[in-house]
Amino acid sequence: MGDLLTGFADALTPGNLLWALVGVTIGTAVGVLPGIGPALTVALLLPVTFRLEPAAALIMFAGIYYGGMYGGSTTSILLNTPGESSSVATAVEGNKMARAGRAAAALATAAIGSFVAGTIGTILLSVAAPAVADVAVGFGPPEYVALMAVAFVTVSALLGPSLLKGAAGLVIGAAIGLAGIDTLTGQPRLAFGIPSLLDGIDVVIVVVALFALGETFWHLVSGTGASRVEPVRGAAVLSRDDFRRSWPAWLRGTALGFPIGSLPAGGAEVPTFLSYSLEKRLSKHRAEFGHGAIEGVAGPEAANNAAAAGVLVPLLTIGLPTSATAAVILTAFQSYGLQPGPQLFTESGDLVWALIASLYIGNVLLLVLNLPLVRAWARLLTIPAYGIYAGVLVFACLGAFATGGTIADLLVLTVLGLLGLLMRQAGVPVAPAIVGLILAPLAEQQLRRALALSDGDWSTLISSPLTIFLWVVVALALALPPVLAARRRRSNTDRRQPDASN
Amino acid sequence: MTAAGEERSQAAASGLLGLVMIVLGVVVLVDAARLRGSDDPVGPAAAPTVIGVLLGLLGGALVLSSRTLPRTSGKGLWRLTAMVVTLIAFALLLPLLGYVVSSAGLFTAAALLLGAPHPGRVVAYGWTLAAVVFLVLDRLIGLSLPAGPWGF
Repeated sequence: MGDLLTGFADALTPGNLLWALVGVTIGTAVGVLPGIGPALTVALLLPVTFRLEPAAALIMFAGIYYGGMYGGSTTSILLNTPGESSSVATAVEGNKMARAGRAAAALATAAIGSFVAGTIGTILLSVAAPAVADVAVGFGPPEYVALMAVAFVTVSALLGPSLLKGAAGLVIGAAIGLAGIDTLTGQPRLAFGIPSLLDGIDVVIVVVALFALGETFWHLVSGTGASRVEPVRGAAVLSRDDFRRSWPAWLRGTALGFPIGSLPAGGAEVPTFLSYSLEKRLSKHRAEFGHGAIEGVAGPEAANNAAAAGVLVPLLTIGLPTSATAAVILTAFQSYGLQPGPQLFTESGDLVWALIASLYIGNVLLLVLNLPLVRAWARLLTIPAYGIYAGVLVFACLGAFATGGTIADLLVLTVLGLLGLLMRQAGVPVAPAIVGLILAPLAEQQLRRALALSDGDWSTLISSPLTIFLWVVVALALALPPVLAARRRRSNTDRRQPDASN
Repeated sequence: MTAAGEERSQAAASGLLGLVMIVLGVVVLVDAARLRGSDDPVGPAAAPTVIGVLLGLLGGALVLSSRTLPRTSGKGLWRLTAMVVTLIAFALLLPLLGYVVSSAGLFTAAALLLGAPHPGRVVAYGWTLAAVVFLVLDRLIGLSLPAGPWGF
């Protein structure tokens, strides 16, 4: 706790508070735009923080991150266009509430729920992360290889409509991650003699290309349809009854979100769906589900934010990003001179605790700023689609140029944007590609390190109980979903009628 | 678009993506074959080989699962081509014309392709956006953006 207080002391200077305020504001403004999820928000706005000193950059970054997440849920509720799969569950009931004229209550329960979950999540993070780091110090390359195998399999199985499409996304990302100089032999791979490819393709460029250009190209090809923005009536406050129905859902959502998010496996949006079905089962107002039940917004939104805090546990302590947003955060940390891993807390403890304090401050600022300003944010949604996507394109090119600094980076951006369009049209999820882009080179590095240490003996990969356990998890994650699907199909045909309530 | 139509176009797109993945897989494998080996048990070509094979297999599975050839709508494809040309032009003109002029042009072209109704207004929006971005990032934050012959 003492470390955390020092972190607050570092983060709470007037100058840093100003950066946090700016971060929250621009993060929300960009995150609220339709089709732009937290990962893209952070990637687009990352260049803004490049020139700041590390502490200021971190706090502004934390503001952008939380602002982006909050903006995303606003769009889900008012427009029913979730920017990332983790706000899909929020959109289900949230948009129904907005259509019933209860947008203000939905936005309020989402904001306060995010705050509650963020607070608890940040506290749990400050307790769990150092503990996990202590364990992770003992990890050798074989453990890392097994952990990454778990992440690969779960990310492809959970982040997409099917294992095939999830795996396709992951492998596309891994192939992009190959570009650059091989660290062990110094040979260029997939560089084709282009200087800017020798350093590898920056994560920010890939994220911006696949998400932002893919989305813009998709609107170009399909034509932008008019979308209906639900109006916000009244102030964003919760009535006594709304509050009574919301708070248990916030706590249950948090209880699901943080532990699942902090597993070194993909699927930070799994707890949001679990929370949704849990609330539906427990609610006294079950009939309202499907027509705008407030528990169905409160629970998943809290789960989403708690999971976002939980994802930071494997990210900070093992250096293992398990969501697209986490992959961008990892890049951001590296650009601020932080190298996530077990040594992070001992080597740059000050900055990490300043970061955790910043996350908390960002969370508070968001609540203070956004509840009163909710109508101003909703107005951003009335910007016509051509304006939004032309603007997104300008920022995407700016981000790519600021990150890479050469013309070739802009051309790479365009080519990857076309790939993003094709993936989007084919229903192949982009998030596994981002995770694959980061994790595949790390996995290769750890595998080669493990085999170099064991003189080429492959049994080193299953040399400890932990690695054996993790490989069993990998096998189960691959084998279980098809088996379960087959059993479900059989039981459905046995009963001759599908279960209508699920 | 109807649900069935959307499903069909998604299947067509997965077929095309599958083909792209197969081509990419071949490129990765050819590139891997060119690498010099090393004394390590896992050399520099191992990872690209695995990824190249996986690209081919998964791409093949996508092609088989779609089983329809992609049909492209002419108008959308034309707009997409125009957009790609605009982006390439932006990349080439950026160092010559400076950030503000090229970005204003990029915004205008993109907005018009996306169906903006008033060209005059779009130029004004684009100019304003580019100028604000340049002032904030270049002058205020110190991220140096390319300046044209006129200094912005």
